[in-house]
Amino acid sequence: MDFAEILKSSFRTLWSHKMRSSLTMLGIVIGTGALVAVMSLVAGLNRSVAAQFQSVGTDIISVSRYPWVQVGDTEEYRHRAHITEEDAEAVERLASVGLVAPNIHTRRSISYEGTNVRGTLVTGTTAEYETIDNFEVEEGRFITDFDVERRRSAVVIGADIAQELFEFMDPLGKDIRVGGHRFVVVGVLKEKGDILGSSLDDLVIVPFSTFEKSFGHRRSVVIDCQPAEGVTMRRAIEDIRQVMRTRRKVPRDEPDDFAINTQDDLTSFYTNLTGVLYMAMVGIVALALLVGGIGVMNVMLVSVAERTREIGVRKAIGARRSDITSQFLVESILLTCVGGLIGLSVGAGLGVLVRAITPLPAAVTPAAVALATAFALVTGLLFGVYPASRAGRLNPIEALRYE
Amino acid sequence: MLIELRDISKIYTVGAEEVPAVRGISLSVPEEEYIAIMGPSGSGKSTLMNIIGCLDTPTSGSYLLKRREVATLDDDELAEIRSSEIGFVFQTFNLLPRMTTFQNVELPLIYGRSARSDRAERVWQVLEAVGLRERAQHRPNELSGGQRQRVAIARALINNPSIILADEPTGNLDSNTGEEIMQIFGELNRAGNTIILVTHEQYIADHAQRVVRLHDGAVESDTSV
Repeated sequence: MDFAEILKSSFRTLWSHKMRSSLTMLGIVIGTGALVAVMSLVAGLNRSVAAQFQSVGTDIISVSRYPWVQVGDTEEYRHRAHITEEDAEAVERLASVGLVAPNIHTRRSISYEGTNVRGTLVTGTTAEYETIDNFEVEEGRFITDFDVERRRSAVVIGADIAQELFEFMDPLGKDIRVGGHRFVVVGVLKEKGDILGSSLDDLVIVPFSTFEKSFGHRRSVVIDCQPAEGVTMRRAIEDIRQVMRTRRKVPRDEPDDFAINTQDDLTSFYTNLTGVLYMAMVGIVALALLVGGIGVMNVMLVSVAERTREIGVRKAIGARRSDITSQFLVESILLTCVGGLIGLSVGAGLGVLVRAITPLPAAVTPAAVALATAFALVTGLLFGVYPASRAGRLNPIEALRYE
Repeated sequence: MLIELRDISKIYTVGAEEVPAVRGISLSVPEEEYIAIMGPSGSGKSTLMNIIGCLDTPTSGSYLLKRREVATLDDDELAEIRSSEIGFVFQTFNLLPRMTTFQNVELPLIYGRSARSDRAERVWQVLEAVGLRERAQHRPNELSGGQRQRVAIARALINNPSIILADEPTGNLDSNTGEEIMQIFGELNRAGNTIILVTHEQYIADHAQRVVRLHDGAVESDTSV
């Protein structure tokens, strides 16, 4: 029997039992719908987070006391020696390292004529910080080497600070107080947005030397740098690691007592986190499809039993075992594939709806479509094989006698 | 010789017991013969019919159909023979309920792997032969008993079979309609078809030229009119 005929006949059979077919399909519809919706949501989230991470700076290498992603024994971190300005200079001397910006941080209140913003990040750094850490100046300028050299009380303010303290006024040239100390605004930064919920614009930047003068020396320096032109990240990181280990006298068989962070660390941390969640969701959805598949097998077994006589007749007029088996198998696969198609549409529709109504980004990926289709096909095949082979193996004489 | 059965036996194993349904039957049927196989229930006539129709294989013996040994064929080969050489007509019609007359009659052609373009013409031909052209789009539940049996006969004819096997074809019909159907068989035989009728009714068997009586799995008598 050629495939077109089998397909037509299968359609006819499913159509003549609309109610039964619809109910059986429901399990598959829900399973694939959930799969597509979940995958769309996760894909959208991943994309959005990746975009957020981009704003941190793509090829930044950040050497600090603590890693960005803290794992395991955080008690141990406290005992680590501070990183110093001299360490920064040693790193700068490396051939494989390009721009270097040592930076140092604290939190202080910022005030201007009575308006106060508390707990703002105050960063002391050099001119290179602008490039390495991906800052853009909206108005005025960034910190310069001259500012650092002369320990000038210049400050570059973030978009949130500009908004809070100055609203519609021009902040340039104004005197503000950073942790009580007087600074002149020389620049305003472009808005960066949020990263995983916290704002990147609630900060002020001052020259490194001035920071030390105003807020003291006893802090660990963070060394932000980039690989030199034409040097790979890996190479630069290795060289930095060697220099730091030597300077801090870390024994050969002991791990680093500092951290070298890159943007990849962030993305892989996030991916690992969501990866586990993702797997769990896919597992649950697979379970739903399993249940749906059992439903399909059940209905197909009933269908075979109901049509025992019919199978006998078909065999009597010349149908081979494979003709019968393929007929029922196609019916089973048709059931799941149509269900899968409906589920796919529902899941995709849900994704679009979610993106329209909520702040959650959802993106229907071709991977989701492919996976849903594959699942539906495989379910139909797997759960249809047994009933179909039973149908094929029926003895025509007994089948014809069946009431 | 169209059919040559030599020492055909069929033994069913029921649990530990062996039940012989057909015991050493030898029978020859030439082409264009109209033969009736008669006998009470338990005589083995259904079993013999199933063997002749290639629905079943004998436990022992030889069955030459058109000089080809079919007693030892496998399932797929038997299906092939059924498709091309045998046309069944059943007591209970056995039409597929969700298909139209046209589709029911067409089905053997689909299993016989005919091309789509050749099929339609052939279907109309046989429908014409049994007088059911106007009922082509009807479903079996929209047809009378006699009409249903005629659809079944059309279906049996469609592949140009060597043998038409009719198992109590009038068993579910009233006497008038039954007579109409027997008329059709007569016409088919006169047109050159070999007809094997299986029945336990004498007046049905009387339509045939030759009557083979079975008793207890063996041939009791074999008379030609």
